[in-house]
Amino acid sequence: MDANKLVTFFEEDLCIFSLRSRKKFSALQEMIRHLAGTGRVSDEHFIMEMLKNRESLGSTGLGKGVAFPHGRSLAIKELTILFARSPGGVDFEALDSKPTRIFFLILAPSDKGADTYLALLSELISLVQKPNKLGELNKVKDYKTLIEILGGNGN
Amino acid sequence: MKEEFRLLIALQDLDIMIKETKDQSTSEELKNLGFKLTGLKELQEARVKLARKIPPVLINRYEKLMEHYTMAILPVTSDKCLGCFVRLPSVFFSAAHSHRLLTCENCGRMLYLL
Ligand SMILES: [Zn+2]
Repeated sequence: MDANKLVTFFEEDLCIFSLRSRKKFSALQEMIRHLAGTGRVSDEHFIMEMLKNRESLGSTGLGKGVAFPHGRSLAIKELTILFARSPGGVDFEALDSKPTRIFFLILAPSDKGADTYLALLSELISLVQKPNKLGELNKVKDYKTLIEILGGNGN
Repeated sequence: MKEEFRLLIALQDLDIMIKETKDQSTSEELKNLGFKLTGLKELQEARVKLARKIPPVLINRYEKLMEHYTMAILPVTSDKCLGCFVRLPSVFFSAAHSHRLLTCENCGRMLYLL
């Protein structure tokens, strides 16, 4: 997957530049509520249950202040990514125990898109490992800048 | 939506996650990306707890369907079954059916109206 394809999954109404919650499950809840507000989720409860189960399998907070909560549910219609930035940091039980400031929430329908969803995860994880990317993401305050950081042309 | 359907849908989401975790190529890929998948036992315990809340007759039907299909329960979003794409009878869409768990006459999957 190239950067231009990657950025097509990011939409302006699917970004939170100032996440308020500081605890793990309230942060997830805030992200899901935001998604529900855009009409992409048919039932918040199913998504929350699924994400809680996913976290019990092992934290999706991979360390260095970034987390990739993800999973599949019948309650999501299309592959969806929500970006969230927490200026204060969330205690997300990350693998390095440090606060998490950047979130890429990736939700996929139960029945399709398995390959795309793993490819997206992989692409995003390698992107944040590039020099300076995390530093830039930690400062991002608007959609246009986010798209530039992710490698798109901002249009 | 009836509580029983809600529980079945949550169970199916959980079963799909367990299946993915047990699938060697998917779990290898996730581990290579840096995820620790150490809580399979926790997922299986959550599954047992959830399944206990569902009437046995429904669980049995659900589990038989999951032996053959990726999904046993699906929403009705058009006039076709999302599992087998065969047209559903118009009687499905009457108000009397709106709170019932329906069955696709062709594939046997459980269906519910959104
Ligand atoms: Zn069918």
